[in-house]
Amino acid sequence: MSTSKKRLGSIVRHGLLGIWAIFALFPLIWMLIMTFKSEADVMTTTFIFTPTLDNYRQVLLQSDYLRFFTDSVITSVGAVLISVLLGVPAAYALARYKFKYKEGLAFQILSFRFAPELLVVLPLFMIYQRMGLHDTYLGLIWVYQLISMPLIIWVVRGYFEDISVEIEHAAQVDGYNWWQVFMKTLVPLIKPGLVSSALLAFIFVWNSFTFPLMLSGFNVSPVTVAAMRFLASHTVQYGQMAVAATISALPAVVFALLIQKHLVRGLSFGAVKG
Amino acid sequence: MAKLRIENLYKRYDLKGKKKKNAKLNDFAVNNLSLDCEEGEFVALLGPSGCGKTTTLRMIAGLEDITDGGIYIGDELVNNLHPKDRHIGLAFEDYALYPPLKVYENIAFNMRAKGAKNDEVHRRVMEIAPLLKVEDLLDKMPVKLSGGQKQRVNIARAIVRNPKLLLMDEPLSHLDGKMRQELRTEIKRLHNKIKCTSVYVTHDQLEAMSLADRIAIMDLGVLQQFGTPLEIYDDPVNEFVAAFIGEPPMNILKTTIAKIESEFYFTFEDSELRILVPNRYYDLLSDGMVVKMGVRPMDVIIGKEDSKGEPVKVAVFENLGDERRIGVHVGDKLFMLITSEEVRYKQGQSIKLEVRAEKTHLFDIETGLRIRN
Repeated sequence: MSTSKKRLGSIVRHGLLGIWAIFALFPLIWMLIMTFKSEADVMTTTFIFTPTLDNYRQVLLQSDYLRFFTDSVITSVGAVLISVLLGVPAAYALARYKFKYKEGLAFQILSFRFAPELLVVLPLFMIYQRMGLHDTYLGLIWVYQLISMPLIIWVVRGYFEDISVEIEHAAQVDGYNWWQVFMKTLVPLIKPGLVSSALLAFIFVWNSFTFPLMLSGFNVSPVTVAAMRFLASHTVQYGQMAVAATISALPAVVFALLIQKHLVRGLSFGAVKG
Repeated sequence: MAKLRIENLYKRYDLKGKKKKNAKLNDFAVNNLSLDCEEGEFVALLGPSGCGKTTTLRMIAGLEDITDGGIYIGDELVNNLHPKDRHIGLAFEDYALYPPLKVYENIAFNMRAKGAKNDEVHRRVMEIAPLLKVEDLLDKMPVKLSGGQKQRVNIARAIVRNPKLLLMDEPLSHLDGKMRQELRTEIKRLHNKIKCTSVYVTHDQLEAMSLADRIAIMDLGVLQQFGTPLEIYDDPVNEFVAAFIGEPPMNILKTTIAKIESEFYFTFEDSELRILVPNRYYDLLSDGMVVKMGVRPMDVIIGKEDSKGEPVKVAVFENLGDERRIGVHVGDKLFMLITSEEVRYKQGQSIKLEVRAEKTHLFDIETGLRIRN
């Protein structure tokens, strides 16, 4: 191929990528701009306005937003932690041991992700009300397992399956007991998959809306649901809502940027069997 | 360094439900195995896949529970010891190097796990590395190594701890031809140098023959024969051992003994071929008796014009330069002959065959056991 053709191809490619980037990022940018607009400017489409921090002041200082943010952090981190603590051993068992209905069980775990959340949330609501789990941290963390656990189990299981059993045996002969083998030789090997699936699970849980909408209340309320509050009052506070949305999107965006290199590799490595 | 003694070793994998009821004797992966390895001896466990050789090795290493019997390293019964307390080095088939660690740390791993001091570790690694010619690889990551290099590191890791017993599980099976030969020689050299009691599992008879002081041949969990390579080659106890050892394999054919003019002949179904039976078997035979005869291709001789027996047509003639291979059809099997004589045959030409008396074996048609006199 001649250089001019190559250049043309490169221009087209970058052009298309540019269009995609604008399409994907524009809502985010629009939202960001909205946060700096005053109530009067919010509905205009001009980019020329007097920036104001009023919305931030309102949301961060004069509302319960920070409390909701903390609720989100507690429930998301708690959910992912429990998923890791229970999911990694489960993934190990599914990868290493032979037992009855193993594949069925693995599929069952995965199928938690199939059911539309709306379908299960109503019965869950009733159950939670009866059990006193409604509007509690524990209740949310529990229901979030439906989102985070399958992801972690399936990704990490693929990693365990890729590790030769002989490595475990080698470590045993080398003087490690089972626990040390697990922590010191296996965990480092599954780390890329564990970290990326855990972070992805965190993002999914953080963004979850349907479950907390029904299962949380005034005591515990993650940001996704809390942002709705700005709609609920008699006037719609678009500027404040934008601030709430921006801040609640931050962790997901930051994490995604931080791990993007590992994310693709981490999630695809275990899945492709040689 | 230590002796290894295996006494009446059994291994049976857990069977559940229905299978348990139908369990038979041959469900044993290892069935009443007894072995004695002298100090510094190199013993090969040889057999086809599924014969229980790897299971045996894993029981010696402590990676597999023992159903019954005893394993002694030195004078110590190790049945219930954790692998780490058995003072063994184990070289794995798949190398099993720790991917995140450099070669140096892989070799040092065992000593580190036992809390050895840094300079002690360094001294020992530097001592072992040249033995296996891995001193240039110490800074590399395992993924960068070739199969042969990985196996060298794997063996280095196994011997760095000064094991009483070195166990190797098919260490060469994933390597290509040339590398395999090279490393085989290296293992031999290494053994001569460190003289560590070694157990070597392989399905490759050539490896076993060239490396081992003694070979234990197993089939279906049962030890068939335990002896020096030469004993096993020249004096197999049964048909299985005879057929398993030797390349090309021994000709083993079902034959009916025919008595013609006071002489015994091997005759074969669907073939005119008739071969004179060596004299030494005359006491054991009778007219019409059915046995199996076994003779290695090198021990079949081209008969002369006036030799006794009936000729047969040549089916295959291959001239390999330093040897010539002649094959004749006996039923649906090929009876091979290898000679270094300068002879030339065409397909379809008649040939008479004789066998070397002392190298011809008879096997019981039912049990496969050697018929001896």
